Amino acid sequence: MAPVGLLASVSKPAWRLGYVLRPVAVSCVRGVSHLENVGKGTFKLVNPPEKEDKTLKEITDKAATTLFLTELIRGLSMAISYMFREPATINYPFEKGPLSPRFRGEHALRRYPSGEERCIACKLCEAICPAQAITIEAEPRADGSRRTTRYDIDMTKCIYCGFCQEACPVDAIVEGPNFEFSTETHEELLYNKEKLLNNGDKWESEIAANLQADFLYR
Amino acid sequence: MLSLTYIVGIASALVIILLLVGLHLPSVMPDNEKLSAYECGFDPMGNARLPFSLRFFLVAILFLLFDLEIALILPYPLGVVFSENTFYNYWLVMLLVVVLTFGLMYEWLKGGLEWTE
Amino acid sequence: MILSVIHIFLYFVPVLLAVAFLTLTERKVIGYVQLRKGPNVVGPYGLLQPIADGVKLFIKEPIKPSSSNPSVFFFAPMLALILALLLWMPVPLMDAFIELNFAVLFVLAISSLSVYSIMASGWSSNSKYALLGALRAVAQMVSYEVSLGLIILSLICLVGGFNLAQFFSAQEEVMLMLSCWPLGIMWFISTVAETNRSPFDLTEGESELVSGFNVEYSGGPFALFFLAEYANILFMNVLSALLFLAAHFSLLGVAVKVGLLAGLYLWFRASYPRFRYDQLMHLAWKSFLPLSLGLLMLNFSLPLTFSGIGGGL
Repeated sequence: MAPVGLLASVSKPAWRLGYVLRPVAVSCVRGVSHLENVGKGTFKLVNPPEKEDKTLKEITDKAATTLFLTELIRGLSMAISYMFREPATINYPFEKGPLSPRFRGEHALRRYPSGEERCIACKLCEAICPAQAITIEAEPRADGSRRTTRYDIDMTKCIYCGFCQEACPVDAIVEGPNFEFSTETHEELLYNKEKLLNNGDKWESEIAANLQADFLYR
Repeated sequence: MLSLTYIVGIASALVIILLLVGLHLPSVMPDNEKLSAYECGFDPMGNARLPFSLRFFLVAILFLLFDLEIALILPYPLGVVFSENTFYNYWLVMLLVVVLTFGLMYEWLKGGLEWTE
Repeated sequence: MILSVIHIFLYFVPVLLAVAFLTLTERKVIGYVQLRKGPNVVGPYGLLQPIADGVKLFIKEPIKPSSSNPSVFFFAPMLALILALLLWMPVPLMDAFIELNFAVLFVLAISSLSVYSIMASGWSSNSKYALLGALRAVAQMVSYEVSLGLIILSLICLVGGFNLAQFFSAQEEVMLMLSCWPLGIMWFISTVAETNRSPFDLTEGESELVSGFNVEYSGGPFALFFLAEYANILFMNVLSALLFLAAHFSLLGVAVKVGLLAGLYLWFRASYPRFRYDQLMHLAWKSFLPLSLGLLMLNFSLPLTFSGIGGGL
């Protein structure tokens, strides 16, 4: 508001002309003049009303403020002072901000250190997924253990709530720290088991570190 | 040293080249949605040839008057330099300015300069 | 002949380049004022950003709205840029292209013509936003043109001629900015309003008009408007520097002053919130106009009172 007031205050000499002329005007165009009730009722004046009888000092101060643009210059110096402060942004693609260990990014399927996949196809994640983004099909493997034959996540349906991660009894499905996985087509975002396991292999160290940092609170 | 006509021609040529490049270099794939006039994401409602606030006409007329005044006064400084009867010119120009000032005052008092009713 | 043509191209191209880098400067300055960095990826410190922008604009699809009036629609940006380039002609740099004795008149005439390009673009787009933006822009430019004209008249009477080069000799002793203080600041504010710059950028009004008269433009034609707008800004600064700050002629001096004034434009944009439309009109008609009329009378009377016209005539 202040700077708007400033430039409006440039108009003061002209307004005073209006004040001087008003008695003349009222006598000349009595009943036709709109000056008295302009803007009444259409908007609220938030500035304190102009004093009618100013002392000479007040008039001089006002004129000097107007003529030497003090308020405008104060506004300008305020703006320029920000120019020399530390930018609030980071140089994103080259430097990245810190991430919480609880950050919920791109999904990954983890493996045991032996290389065996963790997922036992209990379908808890599929059940809890509020967006119904997960599709699992399972059957017993040759060695008799129960594994998934299909584990699909539609990343365009996923709302990244992290429920799958919480539901998983074996810490198989997790949301890793990666959030830079944009693609050019929709199809590339329909992840299958292979892609998820690859993610797990790729981000295992980060994921493990995050789980380690956060396990006390789970 | 070229005449003004040549310069206008060259400027126009440059700009026309720029425009032609802008129009013909990119591949143009028009479709109905792209070509409809913009209106907040939906189809435009009604005609855009609307009647508009009379204030704009008033401003245009005021501008006409004052620009005419400026056009009339423009030769005056040369008159001061080259003319014989300087003071006659001076008072004539002053008269013009004063008359227009009174016109402005009249307009002002009539409320013609108010943008809010 | 060929040499002259090349000469002129060598005049226009730097103008366009200066415009390009003005946009970069603007984005940088505003970025730093807003505690961010502005473009810094394309080239060192983002120096090649304007080139990338230009290439992007010229290979982008130019859209011709189906309801528009095509010939006027494409004529408007052309007119805008042609006028913006022509404005630079009479600037008395080392060797002006055309020695115009009435350079001030030429500038006034050409700059008032640029209103037509805005009106044509707004009307021919046949879109409500464009029409309203154009109306606002035209009313605003027209209002401030009056005060610009009156201020320039005062100066002409003090200087005693319409030749821009004459302003140098008139200001040898003292810059007109100092001797005509309120006129100078009124002139500067009016140029800001005349070029539709913030805080007077109501024609753009993103929140209600999206982009004003050029909503329907894209690609090449939009680039022309953009170039024209910034070329006008730069030229207005050149004019301010010549009219009010031309103490001694030196190319570097003029360049530095123009740069500082252009910086002030950017600084304004970073500092002040936008005007309300009625405030804008009140500023033009109720403060600048009466004040400049009064000062016009004063400046007409002064030379006669002291029996002499400025500029050593």
